[in-house]
Amino acid sequence: MSPITPELKARFEKIVARYPKGQEQSAVIPLLHALQESGGGHLTTEHQQAVADFLGVPMSKVHEVTTFYTMFSLKPRGRHHISVCRTLPCALCGCGDVAKAVRERLGVGPGEVTADGMFSYEEVECLAQCHLGPVFQIGDTVYGDLTADKAKAVIDGLAKQGGR
Amino acid sequence: MEPTPKYLTRNFGNPAALTYDGYVAGGGYAALKKALGMAPQAVIDLVKAGNLRGRGGAGFPAGVKWGFLAKGDGPKYLCVNADEGEPGTVKDGPLMEQDPHQMLEGIAIACYALGIHQSYIYIRGEFHKAIRIVEAAVEEAYAKGVFGPSMSGSGFALDVAVHPGAGAYICGEETGLLSSLEGKKGMPKLKPPFPAVKGLYDRPTIVNNVETLACVPHILNLGAEAWNALGTEKNGGTKLYNVCGHVLRPGYHELRHDVTLRQLIYDVCGGMKPGRTLKAVVPGGSSSPILLPSEIDVRMDFDSLAKAGSMLGSAAVIVMDDRTSIVRALDNLLHFYSHESCGQCTPCREGTHWLYEISQRIVDGRGRPGDLDRMLDICTNMVGNTICVLADAAALPTQSYIQKFRGEFEDYIRAGERRGLLGGIEGKAVAHA
Repeated sequence: MSPITPELKARFEKIVARYPKGQEQSAVIPLLHALQESGGGHLTTEHQQAVADFLGVPMSKVHEVTTFYTMFSLKPRGRHHISVCRTLPCALCGCGDVAKAVRERLGVGPGEVTADGMFSYEEVECLAQCHLGPVFQIGDTVYGDLTADKAKAVIDGLAKQGGR
Repeated sequence: MEPTPKYLTRNFGNPAALTYDGYVAGGGYAALKKALGMAPQAVIDLVKAGNLRGRGGAGFPAGVKWGFLAKGDGPKYLCVNADEGEPGTVKDGPLMEQDPHQMLEGIAIACYALGIHQSYIYIRGEFHKAIRIVEAAVEEAYAKGVFGPSMSGSGFALDVAVHPGAGAYICGEETGLLSSLEGKKGMPKLKPPFPAVKGLYDRPTIVNNVETLACVPHILNLGAEAWNALGTEKNGGTKLYNVCGHVLRPGYHELRHDVTLRQLIYDVCGGMKPGRTLKAVVPGGSSSPILLPSEIDVRMDFDSLAKAGSMLGSAAVIVMDDRTSIVRALDNLLHFYSHESCGQCTPCREGTHWLYEISQRIVDGRGRPGDLDRMLDICTNMVGNTICVLADAAALPTQSYIQKFRGEFEDYIRAGERRGLLGGIEGKAVAHA
């Protein structure tokens, strides 16, 4: 079964229409974002093939985009994907302590998912929220001025809520 | 310090300005109306006269760049660089999240002046909130007739679309951005040909930063003379500065270009944290050479900082106090650049990794005599030898950190000691090792 539901198809068509005729490849990144969001947080071979077929571009073109950009994941992620900023401004403000606290609270390292599938963890480069450092991003939300305790409290809160 | 009148940030903290009506109530879209009553070339000349320097980091005069756009029939594009990601930089995010119509008005004016009928706003993928807000504002601008077949009733057609990135620093480089917008890996292209001649889809293209375009309505409203009076010579207008690191009150501020680095740190941001002293400061994002406390009486404009041996870049000030290990600070940045190199040019792909590997062994207590000269030698072979300036962006800080703090690096190598936990962001690796 195609991973492109009728609802997604309508969304895809709207996205493709932003670009000139013959330049459909431009839609690769937005389409992959849409599929990754709706498809459980990561991109399978089927997802990439579906984008390639939809746009009429070779699978290799889609796959090289999928693997070039850090926001796309070929492996399943947790329901809550935590991206801790590791770059200098956050590091100066103690992101090492925050990262350590998150890893200890979750019991996972970079690129790993908790056993219950609730959280995944990643250390990323600058999130452009340097005035709030240390920061991490979970889904759409950026949490700033973190300490080890604050970071754990955010995770505890999400764990209590359960799902997305 | 005299307070700076607010232009770019005048709507910050006013949620009403997110809507078309709220923006118009504050005087918004008056500049577009004014521009539409002028000849396109007159608008370009005005921006040129306003000495608007590109806010993405290079500081190239925006009006001059506009003048390079190839003439002739067929599609031309304006691509907005909203791929903010130079470490330390916080300005385009707030500009989009707090006053999206200001940028859209700048886009409309620029497109009218340049005869461009299609614009893409390339927003960094992690900026979910900015993407949501700008998309809503674009939609509203269409509904209100600013965009569409007849821009504000002028008969000039303009389409604008938001395009998300997906996590790659290199896409902030203008030709890397265009590759990414074409649905490819974000690999930069050799210049010339410059995008103004051969850019998106091989068509003439102007790439402008968010803040650059956000300035445009104010130049129209104020006129070139008043706009210039807000800045310094050849650096027109006000500027958004972000200060982060070890100051009492980190944050972004709209200020005149004549503010000094010392004023920014001590007057605007409250100085160092209690009991701490300044050790070093990066004035223009992580790619700019580092300055010593004796070098901070410098005006924060493009030309003054260049004269001081650094650069204004994205006006991102990273402040380091006396507890900071410069060795580990550089190590952190070298991880960044080696991770973000797109890999197509050998001097950058190999050079950034070699620098990081040598830095790692120095941090790790396994540094060898000659390692610092080896690093400087690698830098020499990187600068100017690649398609884009990412290699330079890694080499310039490396050279300046080693030159200005050589003793600290040598201590590390000599002592060969293990201080704190190692690598990545383990423990208090960078800041207070």
